[in-house]
Amino acid sequence: MLAIAPALPLHEAGKYVAGAYVVLFAIVLIYVAIMAVRLSRIERELGELLSSSKRSSADAQPAPPERDLGRAESTLA
Amino acid sequence: MYGRGLRTLSIATVAVMTLALGLIFFYAPLEAEQGFLQKIFYLHVPLAIVSLCGFVAGGLMAIAHLRTRDPRWDMRSYVAIHMSLIFAVGTLITGSIWARGSWGHWWVWSEPTLVSFLIVFLLYATYQPLRFAIEDPERQARYASVFAIVAGAFVPLNFIAVRLSSEYLHPRVLGSTSNLPAKMALTFLVSVLAVALLYGTLCKYELTAKHTRAQLRALRRQLAGESAGTGRTMRRSASPRLALSADSSAPGSAGV
Repeated sequence: MLAIAPALPLHEAGKYVAGAYVVLFAIVLIYVAIMAVRLSRIERELGELLSSSKRSSADAQPAPPERDLGRAESTLA
Repeated sequence: MYGRGLRTLSIATVAVMTLALGLIFFYAPLEAEQGFLQKIFYLHVPLAIVSLCGFVAGGLMAIAHLRTRDPRWDMRSYVAIHMSLIFAVGTLITGSIWARGSWGHWWVWSEPTLVSFLIVFLLYATYQPLRFAIEDPERQARYASVFAIVAGAFVPLNFIAVRLSSEYLHPRVLGSTSNLPAKMALTFLVSVLAVALLYGTLCKYELTAKHTRAQLRALRRQLAGESAGTGRTMRRSASPRLALSADSSAPGSAGV
């Protein structure tokens, strides 16, 4: 479609039109970048919560006997 | 909750925006007087329409908040106004670029449409500082809703006043004076749809992100052994406050 389309008559106005469309693109890009930062923050917080949850559940449960651990290892293998 | 349908909406937005760009540059004919410069209008006018409608929608959501006291409406109103402000910045910049190309000036103070839009923009630019200045979440939401309603009512009044003014320099795209050819009208409508979809998608992203952060904070409080009611901290923020219980799907909970 692009190959058969007629050439755009840019002339003097081309830079203004390009500038306007670049503005919209830049706004969306900046917004996406902000969202990416937020997402990474949420991911980090979620990781922290998960690790603290694991720690608290490990503290709450007594350590299993050694032979059970060995059986579990053999089962996993 | 807010993330439902986000993928479909995003795909639809990308598809319609691509279609709009194709129509703008390869389908719509060149305007006789302005030539290629007129292509800016397929971006500038939809941005203006969507941002003004967003401001009004923010006011309607604020009415719903005051009626129901549901913090979710306050959140939606906040996000609608926040996103409309971003789109208004785009409107002002693209309008200035067009004015420079067409009139030779970045800004014309004697033109009522430009100045009235700037007044609306500056009015809404005070919305976030207003929220930021109030510590108490309940008062913050209530005052912000009152502001959103009053400012939302000002938007159509301002629009009508400008339309009724006699001096016209700014071209009319909508209304009896537009006389858009069918190809241009179709391209313009698709452009409005594309920008509206972009607005809706970004609002949904914003709501989803805020809701997810709210859920995380509720989970953190729960894990820390605090009750959801006493765990609310007084923080300085321009964004609406959360009253999120552990079960965020419960009616009346959530918000952000």
